[in-house]
Amino acid sequence: MPENDFYTPTDMDLLRMENELLAFEVRFLKARSGGPSEIAGSPISLSRMTHLEEAETDLKLLLRRIKSSPLGPVAGTNRNFRTLNDRYLKRSEEALSMSPPQRIAYLEGAERDLVLLLGRLARGPLGVMFRRRKSFRTLQERYL
Amino acid sequence: MGRVPTDADQHPVFYAGRFFDEVADAGLLGDHTVLSDWDVLPSQLSAALERASVLVVLDLFSFPFESLTGDLRDVPLVLSLPAGFDAGFLTTVFGRAAFARLGFFDRVAAADAGVWGKLRRRYGWTERQRIEIEDDRPENAAAEISAALEAESALLASFGEGDYEANRYWSERGDALAGDAPDRAICSVNHSLRFNKAIHRIQAAVLRPQFAAARGTQPEDVPFDVLEVGAGIGRWAAGFDPASTRFTGVDISAGMVKAARANFPECRFDRLGAESILPYGDESFDLAFSVTVMHHNPTPTKRALISEMWRVTRPGGRLMFLEDFVSGGWSTMSTVYPMSVLRFVELLVEATAGQVVLEHVESVRYPHDSFTRGGLLSVSKLGVAKTW
Repeated sequence: MPENDFYTPTDMDLLRMENELLAFEVRFLKARSGGPSEIAGSPISLSRMTHLEEAETDLKLLLRRIKSSPLGPVAGTNRNFRTLNDRYLKRSEEALSMSPPQRIAYLEGAERDLVLLLGRLARGPLGVMFRRRKSFRTLQERYL
Repeated sequence: MGRVPTDADQHPVFYAGRFFDEVADAGLLGDHTVLSDWDVLPSQLSAALERASVLVVLDLFSFPFESLTGDLRDVPLVLSLPAGFDAGFLTTVFGRAAFARLGFFDRVAAADAGVWGKLRRRYGWTERQRIEIEDDRPENAAAEISAALEAESALLASFGEGDYEANRYWSERGDALAGDAPDRAICSVNHSLRFNKAIHRIQAAVLRPQFAAARGTQPEDVPFDVLEVGAGIGRWAAGFDPASTRFTGVDISAGMVKAARANFPECRFDRLGAESILPYGDESFDLAFSVTVMHHNPTPTKRALISEMWRVTRPGGRLMFLEDFVSGGWSTMSTVYPMSVLRFVELLVEATAGQVVLEHVESVRYPHDSFTRGGLLSVSKLGVAKTW
């Protein structure tokens, strides 16, 4: 969003903003009621945690999308893709039971992996095709 | 978004009580309803006030104030003081039931300046909350109040034309409104007075506990220094005890500053220049806050104001922002620069170099909205005081 220009929200934006506000409040209340000390009391860490969780969700969605697309079988032969698939789709439940420092490390890893994956996809032979998709461009704008 | 109530949906309701016959024949102006004491029985009051833009109580002695609960609390009141009684008697009879419940959006019709003055000081009302009448007999008071309300609605008929540029818009709008709409929140002026009161009640419910928390354990004899950015005509000054608080407000509109000074002579109000530099020294306040101001300004102005608010707040003091963090329906006439809460937090961290700690977050849902729009962020300033 350019700093001095009006931004034109769509209904999706309105929903996203409301969701963000309510999630931020819930995160604050959890932190205040004795949650992990790493995320209590600091607007920096609170907003950072929310951002990291969004990155993890985006990565999962992207992996699922690739897996269910015609490219899925080809992607499945790639060892890196299988690793990501294993880490974020098959074993994602484990992340919920991690200790707070482990969970932060896991989420930061997810963000890094998402950035790497987006970069690979954009530079690869099918990069032009990916960049035509609005959802891909949105992810690029958000993370690259 | 649900339907936003406007004055067009509603009309004044006059409670005449025992004087129904006289008031009904008084020739009141515009669309209105006159109620007798039979019309305000608990089972009927809600229906009688459903479309009330304002409730004018002409017979205080017979009105059931205790029945104003739920949504009825948001109906703005105009209380006509009965003739022939002194301030002490009126306080004894109506103090707890009626006067104590009056807020910034309620008014008092008074013919006797002496009685008005005593009650005003006792209950912290502003001078603008008085509707000055010449004759306090119910039928004549009703006619004078009706004329005043009608004149006010005509002044507000057309407002908010032209494209939006924050500084010019709020400065010009504020100057114009300072005289014409003394008792409405500036950004809600095109909405009904009842809507204004409802919004204020919800905002007050969120803010007041945080104001108290900001004061903390500071002794009563140590003045609590408060700054409001975008103070308008000073409606939040009424929420602080002038005996223990030094309230300061800044606004970009000279007209608003003048009106605020008239409303609250014991408080300080200054004009804010277009460059958004607060005219105060570093670490001058214990609390700096804004209510629905930031979201009307572009990002550079937001950043400048936050930075300035942080500068003038003492270490350990609080900064509070009650703003809209969810916005839709943009148009060229829109006065809102949407910014999500996370983006605002990023800006807050950037503008204060991260020298803040989050103290409170609370989402706010207004009665006319189908979604949660507002949020309160309260942070305390880190660091060691430069001045002692």
